[in-house]
Amino acid sequence: MGYVAIKGGAQAIEGTKDVFEFLRTSQNDSHALPLDVGTIENQLRLLHSRVISEGGVYHPTLASLAIKQSQGDTLEAAFALRAYRSTQPRLVETPVLDSKNMRVTRRISSAFKDIPGGQMLGATTDYHLRLLRMELLNESPENFRKVTEILFENSSIDDIPDTFPKVLDALRAEGLLPEVNETTDNKKPFDITREPLVFPVDRSAALATMTRAEQGSLLAIAYSNMRGYGDVHPTIAELRVGYLPVLLPHPITGELTEVGEVEVTECEVVAMYEGDNDNEATFTLGYGACFGNNEVKAISMAILDRALQKGMNEEPANPSEDPEFVLLHIDGIDSMGFCTHYKMPHYVTFQSDMDRLRTTQKKQSKKESQL
Amino acid sequence: MLERTLWVSALSALPSNELIEITSKLSEGWTLRPKSVPQAGLGMLQIKDSAFHQAFYLGEFPLASAWLEVTTLDGRRAEGAAQVMDDCIEIAEALALCDAILSAQLPGWEKVSMMIEKGLTLRNTINKERKMMLARTRVDFSLLDDTGNGEGLNNVES
Repeated sequence: MGYVAIKGGAQAIEGTKDVFEFLRTSQNDSHALPLDVGTIENQLRLLHSRVISEGGVYHPTLASLAIKQSQGDTLEAAFALRAYRSTQPRLVETPVLDSKNMRVTRRISSAFKDIPGGQMLGATTDYHLRLLRMELLNESPENFRKVTEILFENSSIDDIPDTFPKVLDALRAEGLLPEVNETTDNKKPFDITREPLVFPVDRSAALATMTRAEQGSLLAIAYSNMRGYGDVHPTIAELRVGYLPVLLPHPITGELTEVGEVEVTECEVVAMYEGDNDNEATFTLGYGACFGNNEVKAISMAILDRALQKGMNEEPANPSEDPEFVLLHIDGIDSMGFCTHYKMPHYVTFQSDMDRLRTTQKKQSKKESQL
Repeated sequence: MLERTLWVSALSALPSNELIEITSKLSEGWTLRPKSVPQAGLGMLQIKDSAFHQAFYLGEFPLASAWLEVTTLDGRRAEGAAQVMDDCIEIAEALALCDAILSAQLPGWEKVSMMIEKGLTLRNTINKERKMMLARTRVDFSLLDDTGNGEGLNNVES
């Protein structure tokens, strides 16, 4: 592949910025206001969650800004967040946090109806009709505000705990899950922001890569496994969304102190059991977690985690079990960059292609004339 | 009084301009000396996967930190420090100042204590809203009890 330096485009490139901004601001309505970042964070919260997760940095304000400046392009917005993070120094790492401490806003299981603490559906569209709500076309500010004022009247929260037990812990206590390997518990995780993926990779590298992967890519490969190019057959033991307190040691006392919280979606799947004469039969497991409220992503990640474990322990039998195939094709910034680079001038390479084609055509016509 | 490990959480619920304004007034004329360079950057979040209890990096978050030595007008000296999920050093410094004032009960500690109470109330309101969302969407499976299906975790052996 070859490139050639070109001149004459600077003015046009500057013009693209103006025209891009023109389209953002040219709404044909004298009352139109610019989007504020709070509106994006709240009213487009699932789009916001997606960007915050794929950007890999939990900065709600800058994620909103990224969405605003990219005019809703999730890949560009995540790219802008990644660019931001690359300019910032790394100050600390948290101790290993436990999602048992999550302040849950939604919690379901498709394995059992009666899970310890109960099932709470939270904010979801899972059970809604997928019909357009025409009344939102002309929503008045008064009606908009009224929703929050009346929604929770008469709700009793006395018996809602601060945190909930994990379904997997109960299954583990029953002896239905593999024992936890405490030797790997203290192992330093692989940092994908500092080191390139060189295969074979550790499971922590796979989890870190999937947690900031592009949702559609992750879903597509997980879907191939669900449809039959794989045999995970998952059951969701628990899917939870909530806020995880971020703890750091106090600089003076050393005591773990809450410095903030991050919204996280977490999914644990129980899959086909394994075992033989030498090993006790237990269910196999898959795990997914990511910033924000991204349930499709967390479920897809859990399925792929299980598939990749199989591929890491045995020969991959299908693409979704192949760590190299999965982990090198799910990053939105990488894949978008490769895709959009085709828009850049390839004048030299294409000129070369044309020269070769013409030469071949000439040779062909010469052969034909000799026949 | 709320334990020190929750002071940052409570105080950071307040509007940041209010926090900075009040702490600037409280420390007027005091000498503030950084014990370490105030910084803004990122923290990396490690989480334990609940399937195999292995740690991995979930992603980064903004972090500002400050550690100050404070000398009041009457010569009392104390240290305060704070780390907060924000990218504004001024907020971290204000929180570190509150940490010093409250831990050593320097002049104005009652004001800081009131701010913590106010922040805690805001946090509790948010937590209450979250719990109300759960209460409102809690699934009642009691109607299925007559079906005899052992679908509870207590029935996993059946």
